[in-house]
Amino acid sequence: MFWLLPKILAVFLAVIVISRSYIDFRARVESLQLFVFWTITWTVIVVLALFPAVIDFTISYFGRGVGVGTLLGMGVVLLFFLVYRIYTKLERVDQMLTKTIREMALREPWNTTK
Amino acid sequence: MESKNIVVAVPAFNEATTIGQVLRGIPPRIDGIPVTTVVVDDGSTDTTAEVAAGCGAYVIRHLTNLGVGAATQTCFRAAQMLDADIVVTIDADGQHDPAEIERLVDCLIDGRFDVVIGSRLLDPQGMPLLRVLANLLLNAVTFVVYGKIVSDSQSGFKAFSRSAVDCMELRSAGYEICSEIVGEIYRKKLSYKSLPVKAVYTTYSYAKGQHFLNGIHLILGLFIRWVRRV
Repeated sequence: MFWLLPKILAVFLAVIVISRSYIDFRARVESLQLFVFWTITWTVIVVLALFPAVIDFTISYFGRGVGVGTLLGMGVVLLFFLVYRIYTKLERVDQMLTKTIREMALREPWNTTK
Repeated sequence: MESKNIVVAVPAFNEATTIGQVLRGIPPRIDGIPVTTVVVDDGSTDTTAEVAAGCGAYVIRHLTNLGVGAATQTCFRAAQMLDADIVVTIDADGQHDPAEIERLVDCLIDGRFDVVIGSRLLDPQGMPLLRVLANLLLNAVTFVVYGKIVSDSQSGFKAFSRSAVDCMELRSAGYEICSEIVGEIYRKKLSYKSLPVKAVYTTYSYAKGQHFLNGIHLILGLFIRWVRRV
């Protein structure tokens, strides 16, 4: 029973992410590229969770040079890259917000009793 | 240098208890030059803005709390809008003696320096030992990140010439702003002087100052900046 947990979790999370992404795409909050990216990413995750044999097949296809360690390593590098990208985007948004609030504050009357 | 306007800028967040005393201590004129006081209220939820306005300061209010770095940058923008020739920043928690503003400004009036840093560590009498050690550590971190060592990199008590304010490119919203200013002094080849100032540590200012977690956050922020630079 315990071995089913990752599969159920993967499907559950995929449904949440893809449906949320679709709603955002329909509401024009998210771009088509981003929606397609999340859909493909989570479809791959679900396929790998439901059919782990795909990983064995991939390893045997690429030969002895590629092992589970290599795939995991690549995954970690990719995740770090994504975290970095998210961090820089977040910082950019943060700076835009700061700038907007500053401009609004400077345009308001500067209260004083002088 | 013929100065016509000095702006003393005070970034403040929930400092209703002390800001009145700080503002009343700011001299109205220095060497005959009029002093304008500006308070940037960084989204306070207490009566900081009302107290500051009551003391005759211009009060600029951020809609929400952005951080001391963002508030300091707003101070600089306001000073530029007021056409200031000299800008002084001072903490609102009362840890600096406003009467010392004159000493800082005097170093700028004759144009010898672009920036004067009020250094608590040149004469650390009255400063808690833990604070001294923490500030020395932050001096070292600032040196690693920005390549410049100064005696008190975290001091909020500084004076700037207008040209220094105009040329600095600041981005930090939080406590990293002090280190970033040191970095800009180095990057823009600004002349500077560290002047010993008194640190007035009361229970209030000690509690309001940077505590341990802020220090960790600051080092983390500086580390991320360092990673992005290399």
